[in-house]
Amino acid sequence: MGFLDNSGDIILDAVLTDTGRYRLAKGDGSFKITKYAFGDDEINYEIYNKSHTSGSAYYDLKILQTPVLEAFTNNTSTMNSKLVSIPRTNLLFMPIMMLNTVKDYSQQVSGKDSYYVAVDSTTEDAVAYSNSKAKELTDATAGILGGARPADHDQVILIDQGLHTTKISQAFTLDPDLKEGQYIVQMDNRLGSLSDKNGSPLPVNYIDDDQIATYYVSGQYVQNLYDLVMSNTDQLNTPASTETPLDGPLGTQVQCKIRSSTTLQTSNYLFETLGGNKTITIGSAGGSYRYIDSSMKFTGVSTGYSIDVPVRFIKKT
Amino acid sequence: MATTFKTFSNNDKTSTRTMLHEAIPLTGTIVSGTYNEENIKNYSHGMFQSVYDYPYLSSSANHILDITYGISKDSAYSSSTTVQQEKKLNIYNQMAQVLVGYDATGSIRLFDEDGNFAAGGATIDEAWFFNFSRLLTKDEIKKGSFEMTFLTGGAATDAVKGESGAELTIGDTGSANDYRVNSPAGEYGILYTKSSGSTGAFSDGYDGYPCGMIYYQAGIAVLTASIFNNLHVPSNVGAENWVGLDAGPAAVGSGSCQGLMTGSEISGGVEGVRDRIKNISFSNTTELNSTIHFCRANHNEFNYSANPTYLSASQIVVKDKAADSPVAYVTTIGLYAPDNELLAVAKLSEPIRKDPTTELTFRVRLDY
Repeated sequence: MGFLDNSGDIILDAVLTDTGRYRLAKGDGSFKITKYAFGDDEINYEIYNKSHTSGSAYYDLKILQTPVLEAFTNNTSTMNSKLVSIPRTNLLFMPIMMLNTVKDYSQQVSGKDSYYVAVDSTTEDAVAYSNSKAKELTDATAGILGGARPADHDQVILIDQGLHTTKISQAFTLDPDLKEGQYIVQMDNRLGSLSDKNGSPLPVNYIDDDQIATYYVSGQYVQNLYDLVMSNTDQLNTPASTETPLDGPLGTQVQCKIRSSTTLQTSNYLFETLGGNKTITIGSAGGSYRYIDSSMKFTGVSTGYSIDVPVRFIKKT
Repeated sequence: MATTFKTFSNNDKTSTRTMLHEAIPLTGTIVSGTYNEENIKNYSHGMFQSVYDYPYLSSSANHILDITYGISKDSAYSSSTTVQQEKKLNIYNQMAQVLVGYDATGSIRLFDEDGNFAAGGATIDEAWFFNFSRLLTKDEIKKGSFEMTFLTGGAATDAVKGESGAELTIGDTGSANDYRVNSPAGEYGILYTKSSGSTGAFSDGYDGYPCGMIYYQAGIAVLTASIFNNLHVPSNVGAENWVGLDAGPAAVGSGSCQGLMTGSEISGGVEGVRDRIKNISFSNTTELNSTIHFCRANHNEFNYSANPTYLSASQIVVKDKAADSPVAYVTTIGLYAPDNELLAVAKLSEPIRKDPTTELTFRVRLDY
């Protein structure tokens, strides 16, 4: 996409997204615009210069000069960071979401900064278990999710929400209006689906035209992180670094597993189309695997904050 | 409660209808077959000729118009037609069916010169049809904007090179406020001759002679063959100033087009007319139905951001202390379905600052 001409009047370049056109064509009433949000994808707030020598009028000069791209029609390629409405203006800290890799059942694959999903039982046995019947945590290799038998494996993806600062003690609870009660999880539906920590499938909210599935995770699947952490630690005034990567007041926690799709389990087509084949070392042993690199997106419904979690689907050749 | 979405109220949406007009100038060089006639497409059925703006085998070519002619069963030419008689009858009937319709007995009506069927009067028994592509006419041709200019006198090839002296211009003069609605194909206006020749030889009486119809929604101009036939020239117009088609493109300007219409294939006749066109111009109309969404950001809304660069160690980077005003910048507006699916997106040409001292209203128009 090109940049929009910003030499004259402010213009608005509006387009329907691919999903919008798809729903319009379906003609089933699903094309219904009911709400809106503002985005600032192009803005880098790090160039906001609060110490500009010419005064406050120049603090955001560079931001205001940021060129803006034309609209993308792919619905998942835009509006990745949204503006947030919070009636209070005296907030100095806002919560973030962090991948919790400090728990032994939520670590990433060592040195890979990614989770691996073993898509079939053969691969699970090769990389995650000492034998095909083992279900014990000690048999699991860190960062390997059992995609074929998610209920048999303890490894999860764990997301913590809260303040990541040492300026406010963890003994304080996060303000209720900043605490996430619902998360949106998006992943490629061709590759897998979302399961809860027990391996039970979670209901998909919708699948868009690009096969991106969206799940709304709330209720019993979202836990109060403060309660979880404090039940496992006696230290209220020091960061519970063995429980959460967050240093400040805690919000909520969401965890999930991934069930690999039938297509990945039974066919190599997607591996050949979207991925590759190479020798991968897991633990101390190397082997030849087909793989597809993908990512999942976790977004807080209230604060709009989101993080991407890299996931690699692997299949033993 | 923090939130990123805001719901539209009934006062935030409105619908509008806008007529968009574009001027379409077609020069005679394109219609006469520049590019060594590679932009002219003939068909094996031979019932019409298509004009493109570029050699039609190229993927860049756009269809401009089709030209053909037909003869009614009541025409004096009918019995004397020796070439493609059936096809010429079929063309006339097909166009009359679509554009004029049927009478009370179910018979196909003939094109009426003034569109007044009840009053009887002259009919157009031999007609030339100029079917413009929808690419050009869009929803309809703008009433009162249609004009065609033919070169008169001399050899056609010379005329196209600009060596001709006289021109015949026809147009739907006055049709913006005077058009007919008794066609099954929509509204139409009467085409009249009017003087605009370089010689200035046309008398006042020449103006206002009805010579066809322009069907606005169908994008079809129907011309009586009389304008190409100096045997039918009105008495108040000099034959020397008429567009004469005699035996084909190589010999125009001197006789009747009867021989051409009866003794030539349709493609041959069309070739002769194409060479006589100096230019065609009209304005098209696109009917835009728009929904306007007013996206409002009140003073206490959308002052914070979920942008990852907005925070450093969870602290808002645009603030030093809690009392500082929060600031955020809008570059994008997303319009969402109830299930939070992004249906439309609008981009601002530059970032707009949003803080608690400002309220913004963005007007996002979606055209259908």
